[in-house]
Amino acid sequence: MSKRVQLSPRKKGERAAAYVFSLPAALLLVAFMVVPVIYTVYYSVFQYQVMRPNDISFVGLANYVKLLADSDFWLALKNTVYFTIIVVPTQCVLALALAMLVAKKFRGVSVFRTMYFSPQLTSMVVISVLWTVLYNSNPNTGLINSLLVGLGMDPINFLSNPKTAMNAIIFMSAWQGAGYQMMIFLAGLQGIPGEQYEAADVDGASPWQRFLYVTLPNLKGTIIYVITITMIQAMKLFTQPYVMTQGGPENATKTMVYYIYTEGFQKGNFGYACSAAAVFFVIVVAMSLIMQKITADK
Amino acid sequence: MLKSKKASAFMGKFLFYFGNIVIGIIFVSPLIWMISASLKPEALVFANMNSISTFLPAQASLDNYFEVFRRIDMVNVFKNTILYIALILVFDLVINSICGYALAKFDFRGKGAIMTLVVALMVMPMEAILLPLYIEMSQLGWVNTLQALVVPFIAKCFSIYMFQNFFRDIPNDLLEAASIDGSHPIGTFFKIVMPISKTVYATVFILDFVAHWNDFMWPFLVMTGEDKRTIQLAVQSFFSTSPVHYSAIMASLVVSAIPMIIMFVFMQKYYVEGIASSGIKG
Amino acid sequence: MKKLLCAGLAMTMALSLTACGGGNGGSNGGDSASAEGDVTNLTIWQPSDKESIENWWVEKLDEWNAEHPEIQVTRTAIDRSDSYAYDNKVATAVTSNDLPDILFVDGPQVSYYAANGITVPITKYFEDTSDFVDSTIAECTYDGELYAISATESSVALYYNKDYLTECGYDVSKLESYTVDNPITWSELAELAEQCTTDSYVGTHIIMDHGEGLPYALEPMYVSNGKDYISEDGATADGYVNSAEAVETTAYLADLIAKGYANVDPITDEFLNGACATEIQGSWDVTVLEDATFDWGVTYYPVSDNTGTPVSPCGDWAAAVTNNCSNVDAAGEFMQWLMSTENVASYSAAISKPAARSSAYEDEAMAAYQEYPLSVFKEQLENNAAPRPRTPSYATFSTAYAEAMTNIFSQAASNGAVEDSYIQEQLDGVVESFEEDYNTYYAE
Repeated sequence: MSKRVQLSPRKKGERAAAYVFSLPAALLLVAFMVVPVIYTVYYSVFQYQVMRPNDISFVGLANYVKLLADSDFWLALKNTVYFTIIVVPTQCVLALALAMLVAKKFRGVSVFRTMYFSPQLTSMVVISVLWTVLYNSNPNTGLINSLLVGLGMDPINFLSNPKTAMNAIIFMSAWQGAGYQMMIFLAGLQGIPGEQYEAADVDGASPWQRFLYVTLPNLKGTIIYVITITMIQAMKLFTQPYVMTQGGPENATKTMVYYIYTEGFQKGNFGYACSAAAVFFVIVVAMSLIMQKITADK
Repeated sequence: MLKSKKASAFMGKFLFYFGNIVIGIIFVSPLIWMISASLKPEALVFANMNSISTFLPAQASLDNYFEVFRRIDMVNVFKNTILYIALILVFDLVINSICGYALAKFDFRGKGAIMTLVVALMVMPMEAILLPLYIEMSQLGWVNTLQALVVPFIAKCFSIYMFQNFFRDIPNDLLEAASIDGSHPIGTFFKIVMPISKTVYATVFILDFVAHWNDFMWPFLVMTGEDKRTIQLAVQSFFSTSPVHYSAIMASLVVSAIPMIIMFVFMQKYYVEGIASSGIKG
Repeated sequence: MKKLLCAGLAMTMALSLTACGGGNGGSNGGDSASAEGDVTNLTIWQPSDKESIENWWVEKLDEWNAEHPEIQVTRTAIDRSDSYAYDNKVATAVTSNDLPDILFVDGPQVSYYAANGITVPITKYFEDTSDFVDSTIAECTYDGELYAISATESSVALYYNKDYLTECGYDVSKLESYTVDNPITWSELAELAEQCTTDSYVGTHIIMDHGEGLPYALEPMYVSNGKDYISEDGATADGYVNSAEAVETTAYLADLIAKGYANVDPITDEFLNGACATEIQGSWDVTVLEDATFDWGVTYYPVSDNTGTPVSPCGDWAAAVTNNCSNVDAAGEFMQWLMSTENVASYSAAISKPAARSSAYEDEAMAAYQEYPLSVFKEQLENNAAPRPRTPSYATFSTAYAEAMTNIFSQAASNGAVEDSYIQEQLDGVVESFEEDYNTYYAE
């Protein structure tokens, strides 16, 4: 995004305008995001029990040493990465498939678009509460298991089995989020010039080849954008484990943000939680800047 | 020959609709079940789970909704929530759009730094800085005041990013022409750029409205008192305050979704265009 | 450049000010006792609860405030998704000195707040506590001082669906014949559960909230089998929650789930919805079950076959005075009034919980407790209630225990069985978390 034709900068008043325009937001960001991050780093070198605000002692890097030796921390990091790696492609592929289903105009198309988009109309908390009930392991009270049993299968302990809990959250998250990305893909698909498809048809391309050689290359920018925003959301995963599983069973759904939250609030080890947060910030900021670089270079 | 082609076209169309309907049902059935459960008496919420009738409230009544409105002063809750979100959004749309515009169209010292700041902070999860931010609020003496709900959330990296993306593609010729006519860059923005950018404003409005409508942890920590309760706190109170009834919980979930549904109905055009256009430029 | 920066700053300030202007400015609710002239203002925080108790507060505080112009009291109900959320709220208020004057704390958390100096002793306002049930006084005492006082108690017992049990061929009169000193045993409960587990019903229901509900409802099982969670002095969990007896107790519970007699993630209203034959549930369910479409009964909390010692759960939210209160005497005076026999009786009736004062049961408002089914809970409270461990590290223990039990139960449900070694390993983990917290912050 750096290679752009700029307005002639000689215009008087433009420089002033640039500062008047950009500083309010920048100052607010510094005041309410950078400052808390600085606080986080500051408190990370103290032993600080939230219930004892008058009894804070400097411990140097002790929190970090403990953190790096804490298997729960690494597990939380692993879970976050696992969630991201699985949910991003799942959700994006699902969204693209949905977009292709409803890209053409046909009777009832807006009904189907609305249906796919409808999970977006409720919040993640609402969705999580609802799906906790739907995922219930007892076929007499859990809708999905009642369906499975009806189809002659064994019920699955979706949220109470460490092997399935994270995947259940991934499925639900993809279901909730796909409609949004579908809308983005829809615009991308509609922006592809019709002639390119016609040319492909003249060459006798199969539907798969049409998709591979016309649709995908044209959607490149959109795909990168969708992947970026999905990744950012995925790294922050918190609400679903908070509402549905409390990080369990066997820490299978304990994510980084949830780990920081429980250490800091539930257990009250604020200083320690800050060290975890600081390490996590370094990771996500680095990731974000790298993603930005890739996007800018394309 | 012709006939079989017609038949296969019909077959294709049938499969196409069939697929859409099946997937459509998968997408809406959880929500239908939620609405259906909200209309049932508590003792029947989980009855007949193994038949299609679980989606049809047998003894439908609005009792659960009456209970929700009786237990919680919903009018006040909606008022509180809409007031603070409206305040955030007014500032949000102005401040983030001018910042996005400056980043897209002006050249100035510090631009790179601000851009990096925006991109870096975009991934910062709120939940991880809750307590430090709370400590900052208490140092400012803002605990339990409206500004604690509003001021920290005006500047938003993602909004700046969206605006910057959009404004980047406004032709420079248009802006040059305005400046030749003697328009000051600030005037140009408000007179020329803003009016042609309705979609991006609508998108940011919708995205941020939805995001704040879902806030629960921050208002819970920073605000105290039933009179200051926001919507998600009201919903949460049904999870733990006895009697804990799924039927009432489902009704409260439906109530909390109503404003978003209304917004979708009335702003559908912008919703679709806005969200869709955000990705084209990538 | 400098000028611009100033302009930007000024603009930000102006914006913030406008935002403030839109609000109601200054804070209240969380403020400490403020004396204006001769008037002391006291604030109370309590988790929000059912309508009837919210109304009780409004009415009673109007009464108090009219009679005591010099001590004005306001109460704020705190919404919460779970008990941990309320603790989070208190924790943040501690960091900013925004605690109210009077804070309701859950029974087992009394020690935690007391040990950290968040709450102050109130012994001198309650010198004669003989009328209060022993369990509540034990729970509210830390280091020899009374730190909180509760109007209500709680209890848990075994509910059963009479219609369904009869349908299964189970003799309901057997359940009716148990007494408070001779309740149903674990093995009898397991047999019942086995007999009554079918495609549409599970035999029993264990509270499974991933939170405080687990240690609360299950502790008497451990005590009954010979070992509590934590030592009497609250200093160690080693040899208690990870003892052989505790492993045996846990194995019994896990077995119910492994065999499918109880669900690993039951819905809260499973019993009301006619999906389980029995449930181990709190006294508050009596009100909920007024809507039941079947005939039901309640019997005493199950007892270990090994010891035959009946024990039942207890403990409830209690009122404490915080270190932020500038007029402790005024708060003490108010609490004495709040805890009068008459107020305790009407409070308990409004919140549908057993009263913590014996004399309150003579009040008309508590008449229902003289009769079945509520009498079951009252009898348990008077005879064999065991408070949860009194230790400043209870919050850590509770979280760790709930996590361990969730793991054990999920193993049981997924594999159809759990090894004792796995249970041992999980409970050892609880001990480790507990000891770390205790040794870091509270050990001498």
